[in-house]
Amino acid sequence: MSVTPADVARLAALAALEVADDQVPALAAQLDRIVSYVGQLAALGETGEPAADEPIPGAGFRADVVRHTPMAAGPADFAPQFTDGFFVVPRSKARADG
Amino acid sequence: MNPAAVAADTAERLDRAGSLNAALAWSPAALAAEARRVEALEPGGPLHAWPIAIKDNIVTTDLPTTCASKILEGYRSPFNATVIDRLRAAGGMVACKTNMDEFAMGGSTEHSAYGRVLHPLDGDRVPGGSSGGSAALVAAGVVPAALGSETGGSVRQPAAFCGIVGVKPSYGRVSRYGLVAFGSSLDCVSVFGRTVDHAARVLAAISGGDPADATAAAMPPLALDPPRADLRGLTFGLPVEYFPPDLHSGVRAGVDRAIGLVRELGGRVQEVSLPHTAYAVPTYYVLAPAEAAANLARFDGVRFGRRAGEDTDLTAMYRATRGQGFGPEVQRRILIGTYVLSAGYSDAYYGKAQAARARIRGDFSRVFASGIDALITPTTPTPAFKAGDKTADPVAMYLADVFVSAVSLAGLPALSLPVGRDSGLPIGAQLIAPAWQEARMLAIAAALEARLDPVAEVR
Repeated sequence: MSVTPADVARLAALAALEVADDQVPALAAQLDRIVSYVGQLAALGETGEPAADEPIPGAGFRADVVRHTPMAAGPADFAPQFTDGFFVVPRSKARADG
Repeated sequence: MNPAAVAADTAERLDRAGSLNAALAWSPAALAAEARRVEALEPGGPLHAWPIAIKDNIVTTDLPTTCASKILEGYRSPFNATVIDRLRAAGGMVACKTNMDEFAMGGSTEHSAYGRVLHPLDGDRVPGGSSGGSAALVAAGVVPAALGSETGGSVRQPAAFCGIVGVKPSYGRVSRYGLVAFGSSLDCVSVFGRTVDHAARVLAAISGGDPADATAAAMPPLALDPPRADLRGLTFGLPVEYFPPDLHSGVRAGVDRAIGLVRELGGRVQEVSLPHTAYAVPTYYVLAPAEAAANLARFDGVRFGRRAGEDTDLTAMYRATRGQGFGPEVQRRILIGTYVLSAGYSDAYYGKAQAARARIRGDFSRVFASGIDALITPTTPTPAFKAGDKTADPVAMYLADVFVSAVSLAGLPALSLPVGRDSGLPIGAQLIAPAWQEARMLAIAAALEARLDPVAEVR
């Protein structure tokens, strides 16, 4: 098995995803199935540098200027917590301890 | 019919179709407001008073946008997607927001936080996905057209399952401003229609460059070709890799019907090869999750959506919000995306997949450069499958995309056309065209459609 329960815990931490302990073994088995499946790409052999993408006609960098979008509502209407112009979040323990 | 009558009729149809679980948000009042807006427009718009269903990953200010996820429950966007503005400018009316696989990840619309969508012809079956709600509403006759989105076949596959037309444009043809991002190198706003003409008119209305989306090609809106009575002078390729010996015999019979008709209409047909086809699904299931893992990082309980773990610390809040807000398939994809991008694995998976994608694109380029005007393939390996058949094994679900994902990786336009039924279930044939050749592809499809009975048994 190439994806272990320990891998799942590490990936979940990297992805900021809470995964219940009792789900880890099943998730490891599913991820292992998917990783084994996509592993058939190894049969492609040495590939060197991939070719560049086809350019999209006329697409390119926009002018580096702020472009305001008219908004029907402000963050106070859609943010979980927004006070005095700030998005409010719980205190970071890592920051407080450090 | 006048817009107010259409709005009232649409509300009645949506109400009657409620058991399909295809619509997530709509109201008679919102429909009436759409009608009033259309009444104030000059008549003669190409979509005048057309009610159009909108997949719930396309943002709208007056109806919520949830992406069928708990993490966005009740979320209302402060702006409209460009495609919404364009539909409205053409006279269209937003009918409703439609159910989908959560964040467009799935092929059956079973991965919705708001319950699965039922196939309109057989409630035990799935309508396909991820744009299953939009497909079901068009197939059920509730609306003549709908918007969906494609990352790897999410409009063509449900169109085939439901017996309607599904069109994926070239990557960059339609603005994605206001389409909630999943896999940014693949995502395309795409269209369902009851007929080719319905889909073509909607695609033409929403296409064209957009200063708000730097990845939309700076091109004028799509100009449709005049109808064609025959297919003389055109050469069609049948990629051998899309016709395996174990292909479902009903699907094979349906596609053969379309191929026979191409010949009758004067088109030339020849076998071709796209040798890297077998790599398409594994390539897609590396690249799309990798991009999704990055795109879905924005859902963290800070700026919008639902928050969990309020009384913990910041990191725990992020993890609780995402762990409780995302469903199982989205979590799997984020974890896979994180895996294939992580140190020690990215060369073996992500790098390899990028190389495979270039080869897949090269296969198509070579075939089209050899004088092939369009390819014909099955859209799906089987007709609509039963709910629950593929939920236990994610890879089995992924393989339902086997004939649609290569096109997405190559950024090409393609469509699914209903070509008949097998034991009552619709069969779709796929037409694939060179980049930016949507107009000719649609004209070819319309010529075939005019001679096909989409509800006739194929064998």
